[in-house]
Amino acid sequence: MQERDALLKKKVEDSAEIIPPEKLALLDPVIEKYQGSSSYLIPALKEAQEMFGYLPMEVQRKLAWGLNIPAPQIYGVVTFYSFFTITPRGRHTIRLCLGTACYVKGAKNMLEIITREVGINVGETSKDDRFTLEAVRCLGACGLAPVMMIGEDTHGNIMPSATLGILEGYQ
Amino acid sequence: MVTLTIDGVKVTVKKGSSILEAAQQAGVRIPTLCHDKRLIPFGACRLCIVEVTARGRTRTMPACFNPARDGMEVATNTPKLRDSRRLQLMLLLRSHPLLCPSCDAGGDCQLQNLVFEYEVPELSFGRQSRYFHVDNDSNFIRFNMNLCIRCGMCVRVCEEVQGQSELSFVNRGIESEVSTDFDRALDCEFCGQCASICPVGAISSKWLVGTGRRFELQDTSTVCAFCSLGCSLTLGEKDGKTVYVTSSEDSVNEGNLCVKGRYGWPFAYSDSRLTKPLIRKDGLLVEASWDEAIQTVAEKFGAIKKSSGPDSLAALGSQRLTNEEAFVFNRLVRTVFGTNNLDHAGGYAYRSLTDGLAPMLGYAASTNQIREIRGAKAVLLLGADLTETHPIAKNEINLASVRKKAKVIVVDSIRTKLSYRDGFFLDVPPGYEDLVVNSMLKFIIDEGLLDRASVDLRVEGFEELAESLKDYTPEAIAAALGLDADLIKAAATAYAKAETGVIILSEGLNRYRDSSPLSKAAVNLALVTGHIGKESCGVYVFGEKANAQGALDMGLTPDLLPGYHLVRDEAARSKFEDLWKGQIPASPGMNARDILKGAENGSVKGLYVVGENPLDTYPNRQRVQNGLSKLEFLVVQDMFLSSTANIAHVVLPVAAPYEKAGTFTSSERRIQKLNPSSKQIQGKPDLEIFMSLAAKMGKPELSYAGYSEVMSEIAGAAPMYSGVSYERIGDKGLVWPCLDDEDSGTSTLYEGGFPIGKARLAPAKLLGMVSRSSGSLKLIPCVLKFHSGSFSEWSPSLMEVCPPGFAEMSRVDMTNLGLNDGDAIKIVGNNGQAINLKAKESRRALRGTVLVPYHFSKNKLNSFTDWGSTEIMIQVEKA
Repeated sequence: MQERDALLKKKVEDSAEIIPPEKLALLDPVIEKYQGSSSYLIPALKEAQEMFGYLPMEVQRKLAWGLNIPAPQIYGVVTFYSFFTITPRGRHTIRLCLGTACYVKGAKNMLEIITREVGINVGETSKDDRFTLEAVRCLGACGLAPVMMIGEDTHGNIMPSATLGILEGYQ
Repeated sequence: MVTLTIDGVKVTVKKGSSILEAAQQAGVRIPTLCHDKRLIPFGACRLCIVEVTARGRTRTMPACFNPARDGMEVATNTPKLRDSRRLQLMLLLRSHPLLCPSCDAGGDCQLQNLVFEYEVPELSFGRQSRYFHVDNDSNFIRFNMNLCIRCGMCVRVCEEVQGQSELSFVNRGIESEVSTDFDRALDCEFCGQCASICPVGAISSKWLVGTGRRFELQDTSTVCAFCSLGCSLTLGEKDGKTVYVTSSEDSVNEGNLCVKGRYGWPFAYSDSRLTKPLIRKDGLLVEASWDEAIQTVAEKFGAIKKSSGPDSLAALGSQRLTNEEAFVFNRLVRTVFGTNNLDHAGGYAYRSLTDGLAPMLGYAASTNQIREIRGAKAVLLLGADLTETHPIAKNEINLASVRKKAKVIVVDSIRTKLSYRDGFFLDVPPGYEDLVVNSMLKFIIDEGLLDRASVDLRVEGFEELAESLKDYTPEAIAAALGLDADLIKAAATAYAKAETGVIILSEGLNRYRDSSPLSKAAVNLALVTGHIGKESCGVYVFGEKANAQGALDMGLTPDLLPGYHLVRDEAARSKFEDLWKGQIPASPGMNARDILKGAENGSVKGLYVVGENPLDTYPNRQRVQNGLSKLEFLVVQDMFLSSTANIAHVVLPVAAPYEKAGTFTSSERRIQKLNPSSKQIQGKPDLEIFMSLAAKMGKPELSYAGYSEVMSEIAGAAPMYSGVSYERIGDKGLVWPCLDDEDSGTSTLYEGGFPIGKARLAPAKLLGMVSRSSGSLKLIPCVLKFHSGSFSEWSPSLMEVCPPGFAEMSRVDMTNLGLNDGDAIKIVGNNGQAINLKAKESRRALRGTVLVPYHFSKNKLNSFTDWGSTEIMIQVEKA
């Protein structure tokens, strides 16, 4: 259980990449649009994430400055919602369910296989930017356990040994 | 009012009070882990659950956020509730490391106390360790989130009270913890409120780690010696040395402290403190005995007095002296030196603000209490950057803004942090705040937004005022200052229509000229709109240093005797001559500016400087230096070898504020007692020095058995102190006017009327030319929350968190000059004076202005300033 809890915890680390100022300037229209009301933080974050693919420190700080919302509060929101991410994502996001049903039906083995073969831990992105691995608590399809989503596609009743085959379909 | 019964005790409370508050009033204790009276109830810990029987039904509910209702029967300690609380505590212990034997909070941990009280047994379920961040890198404060119980009090006090929001809950569910963004070290006000409110050991004072536990410390409560708000401090001492400072939640400041109060005290233990008197011999300052030093001072001053007359002597006191010391210093200078050449820095800064108040209202001081500001519906800040100058008063505005939805109207030349609150920001060139106030008033009168009853019944001079305002139309003023007239009108409407409104002025650094027009304009506005003589209304003037108000009350000025009696007034003078057993010269003496001029031209030969550092803080450094160096004899009485002390002939070391007794009068007129904590006095208390000097100068009758004896003399001399005595000053002090032994003080002035009959409106001054130079940059000397005068430079902790060497500039100006954040720049003044600093991009700096903190002697910022001028033109170049 402890192991599983640790996997479900969101990775918190400084973004490796440094966003150049000219790229950060892309945020100016977002800031202009949502300035003046702190209740628009979530739409602003959503647009920023669509723009950059993730919400690194520089982006959060710039939004904090522009929207006049304290940076810790923004960070609190970003880490609260699983939709937001602080680290860059690959082309395909694997959402592997580690809910109780999936866990007992082999999700743990699937995780081991992905970790070993793709070379990434939960919360990480492969070096070729192909996959980002996320562990989720439940996908609401326990009848299909173990379940995994890749991008928008849902895969259920997976034999752990078939995991790699499914991944092959995503380049 | 509602009446309910709590554990059999009948209690009547205000409607809207919570069950918890009702219980506190009834004297029934309900345990809590996430509640503080300063915060909005949160309901996280579930320990305050009580059984409520109303209309025949019994339910269990949290007491902290459920309102008390009529007829409720509340039980707080039934077996069921005890079981439930015990289970809550067990759940908290499930993942709380049981490192109590080595935890810094041991003995002062509310969780530990409750676990003990509720006899929590061995957990019947498995314990689980979780790992959260530990921050040892922040200044003063240490975070160990493994000990956190998620009560959220730190997050809430930071947001609700401080308005800082440096902390937030991050992550979710069982993984949530309190942190900054990306777990970085703190970069905030460093008020330490989070550490002081933490019920466990998760956030603690770094200095206490491994030093001692709370219960080992010997507590002394005294008054903070930095700014003028009079916060009460509790000094925790171990082995005769202060190691911890906090404030009681029952104090006037409700336990709130700022960075200076909580973490500024290490100056008292600085190695730079002077321990022995210094006498200049062969050009060098060398240590000497007290006897020799006092003897030298007495002889030299005596000789100058004999050869050149008493008026060749002069003295500068300080806002940092206690009332008693200021009073005795006053007596010493006037009766022993025999001169009225006596002043202090507040004589030109603080006084020009309060001077506007006295003739119009009756008293030269703030009208209301600081804690009333939170109830205001409109707050008008005139050149008052309270976040930096008076952080605890800033909290009040934060509360008014958030809880009362008050409009915050900021008129300033700095984009202050409070200007981001809901309200209006009117940027004016330094020193032109009064124009905006007058135009607001003009608009209010023209639009009929005034309080008719107040104007008809309480004031006189309305017609003259209205006539004098005829040029101050919002349009004209807006055009002159480059503002939007509609903004002035909207601000005026907001203030006039608000049920309660306060106006706040603070002694700031861009006040080298007479600021009385500003305070007069403020009082006019408050009177005409009826915002005076009521709770949560009035005009506040906040001084810079601890005893700003007291220094004026005690008459540290050339023309006033203690209690605002005029030197010119024959009767008053003779009363003081009897009291002080000595002659007082009949004509007012020289003020600080003239004293320094006199030093330059040779008419002042001997100067006694007590607790000030004119060389670093008075305007026009060049001339100050010229004057001081021409003096035949300069005596400086200080804790440290300040720049001024460094050129003195004799330096007398004094005790730190934590080492002495006496009283300070805060900006809300509250007289509070200091209590010495440390026995390790280095130097002597000022009072003692004054007495020994008087004795050596042939006036041994200037002698007091102690501070309380001085206070009883003050009570006889200053009318508003007449009911004050040491026995009567309790934990929360006494607020003057306190007229007799029965009087418990007056928190709101002018409630029943004005001591001068009707309040007198003051006509506005003629509208002069507004100089708006464009193109060139203006220097604004500013105050920072981490510092106080030039004296905080001796506090290693404050220097660590805010070192010197930067100038704040706007992004636009930096781009125009091709500067990046952190670039070295050279600031050059009109007379060729220059300083090298680092540019810092800041939102506080408006376009065309450069903000430089004035606290640091190495910056020599006063080489740019001058008496009577508010605008300092400079050139900025890349260094």
